[in-house]
Amino acid sequence: MREILRVDMSTLTISREPLPEKWARYGGRALTSAIVFTEVPADADTMGPDNKLVIAPGLLGGTSAPNGGRLSIGAKSPLTGGLKESNSGGTAAHALGKMGVAAIIIEGVPADKTVAYALRLFPDGTVDLVPRHDLKGLGTYETVAVAKGIEAAEHRYSEKVSFIVNGPAGEMGMKSAGIAITDPHGYPNRFAGRGGLGAVMGTKGIKLIAIFEEGLKGKEHADKDAFIAAVRKFSGALTTHAVTSQALPTFGTNVLANIINEAGGYPTRNFSSGQFEGVDGISGETMREITVERGGNVKHGCHAGCVIQCSRYYVDKDGHYMTKGPEYESAWSLGADCGISDMDTVAALDRKCGDIGIDTIEAGVMIAVYMASGKIAFGDGAAAMAVLDEIGRGTDLGKVFGDGAEATGLHFGVKNIPVVKHQGLPAYDPRPIQGIGVTYATSTQGADHTAGYTITSNVLAVGGTVDPLKPEGQAALSQGLQIATAMLDSLGFCIFVAFAVLDMPEAFEAIHEMAAAHTGDEWDADALMQLGKETLTYERLFNEHAGFTNADDRLPKFFLEEPLAPHDAVFTVTDEELDSVHSFVPEVAAQLGIK
Amino acid sequence: MQVDVVLFAHFSGFQPDGKGGRHARTFELAEGTTIADVIAMIGLPDEPRVIFVNSRHAPEERELRQGDRLAIFPPVAGG
Repeated sequence: MREILRVDMSTLTISREPLPEKWARYGGRALTSAIVFTEVPADADTMGPDNKLVIAPGLLGGTSAPNGGRLSIGAKSPLTGGLKESNSGGTAAHALGKMGVAAIIIEGVPADKTVAYALRLFPDGTVDLVPRHDLKGLGTYETVAVAKGIEAAEHRYSEKVSFIVNGPAGEMGMKSAGIAITDPHGYPNRFAGRGGLGAVMGTKGIKLIAIFEEGLKGKEHADKDAFIAAVRKFSGALTTHAVTSQALPTFGTNVLANIINEAGGYPTRNFSSGQFEGVDGISGETMREITVERGGNVKHGCHAGCVIQCSRYYVDKDGHYMTKGPEYESAWSLGADCGISDMDTVAALDRKCGDIGIDTIEAGVMIAVYMASGKIAFGDGAAAMAVLDEIGRGTDLGKVFGDGAEATGLHFGVKNIPVVKHQGLPAYDPRPIQGIGVTYATSTQGADHTAGYTITSNVLAVGGTVDPLKPEGQAALSQGLQIATAMLDSLGFCIFVAFAVLDMPEAFEAIHEMAAAHTGDEWDADALMQLGKETLTYERLFNEHAGFTNADDRLPKFFLEEPLAPHDAVFTVTDEELDSVHSFVPEVAAQLGIK
Repeated sequence: MQVDVVLFAHFSGFQPDGKGGRHARTFELAEGTTIADVIAMIGLPDEPRVIFVNSRHAPEERELRQGDRLAIFPPVAGG
């Protein structure tokens, strides 16, 4: 039986309730989105008592499903104003799954705004909420170090603990604040980064959540033999496909830098060019060469059960840990988008973002927008670090920066601000790669590449091919991927499994076979797609209630008007095609009985 | 004719000078040389690849032209 753990910060009470039957097939994103849709008024003040922070492992969290340990965190987003699901790796999801926790709902706000609390979940099922004022204002790394020391002193500490941590940016209510989750080595370097959910956690007065998992066993399955057979089938596909078995484990996600640059879609200096002359310095290949030379780790998983192993650690010249190997998006945002081509500089900026607890994508896009204002120069790494310092210190200017790219662009009068639904665009220019423009424009999440990763067919020749420079077929491609992604996010899978799933039918079959064998319910291909559609329907309807219309499903005008080198491309997918992406919503809403 | 050839990820070790790296090497090629001919010439392994000529996807049977930039990747992804 899965249950909901409800934490009311207004009364400082914790209660438990069974997961409602109507949500028995939900986990991860489906559950966080259904709960936020149902319990949070669409007009709620994102920083007030009516907003709720919902944390959920996927439906297969706590099992041995390969790459099935992702965590969903949901709320009404302070950044977008819409329903947000921010997704992360790290060890917390499996720990919560093993405890039988379907979701933690954190609601209300404490009367005393100066407090900081730790929410602790123990293996015997006890849960408590303890004041931890000493942690207030600390960076994520120091928070984890201090918290471990306290727990060790109380003899309740063990190596098997997962932390979900808020940084100072979140405590100060900044809209680019993310939430850190510890990795298998205890570093708080995995992030539910997007959408300002750290700011919501900050209003709740919770500094960290500690999940102690010593002795917890994996979840039971309705049909253990069938589950193991499906796991083997899935694992076999992931360890066979060239992307998930070779490129990602060898070079990490940043292996993308060169190919996106080659395709002319690598946004450079605030989206003013599609190619960066300094790409090699911040590419996955260079990062690997530097890290190997310095003796750093270049291959591990961010959670148990990962068979792809795309994580790595970046180390300084003396071989000491600095930060996780910056992901493709981070190396781009803090690198190419700011005109910075030095890997050590990018890594230092990445570490700073991680420590103060802000989304690296929003941070880099924001700094690039600030550079475009002329206040600081493109390529100036020291000036970029000074911007992050302002955020960490919470100065008046830092609060503008901390609210993200749009706030910064408006403050400094910048013409081209690359955001959709107030959220900064990720690392693919939508002019030469038009499919991703459809996803940016129409996603319930604001500009988010992961929501419907058309780069697969547009550039990488995974899951077929769709010409990236033409508008034809992009809306259908994006729609299919948005539905599939919402499904994977709900089961708890890393979306990188999609690279194998899109090319290998047996991998897709293995997903519904695992779901069926674990739960004992009927799952097939149609049921998986229905799960994705239901998830998007909650999100889409919530956003409509919050005031979003089709006019919000548009890219900033400069992507339609200003041609981008080297292809001299502009975005040409029509508004009608964009509006077709959510065509399934009315029918699914009727099936769910929601409006 | 002269064509710039760039190889990425683990393909970079197949540059004829053996020095790896992602920088372009200029190849002197006969008129009519196709991408497939270049792949055979440098001995790339027989595995899937993604090919660009002048930043656009190109099929292996494409004939190269003076001044082209040919970029070849193994299957990669991330995000």
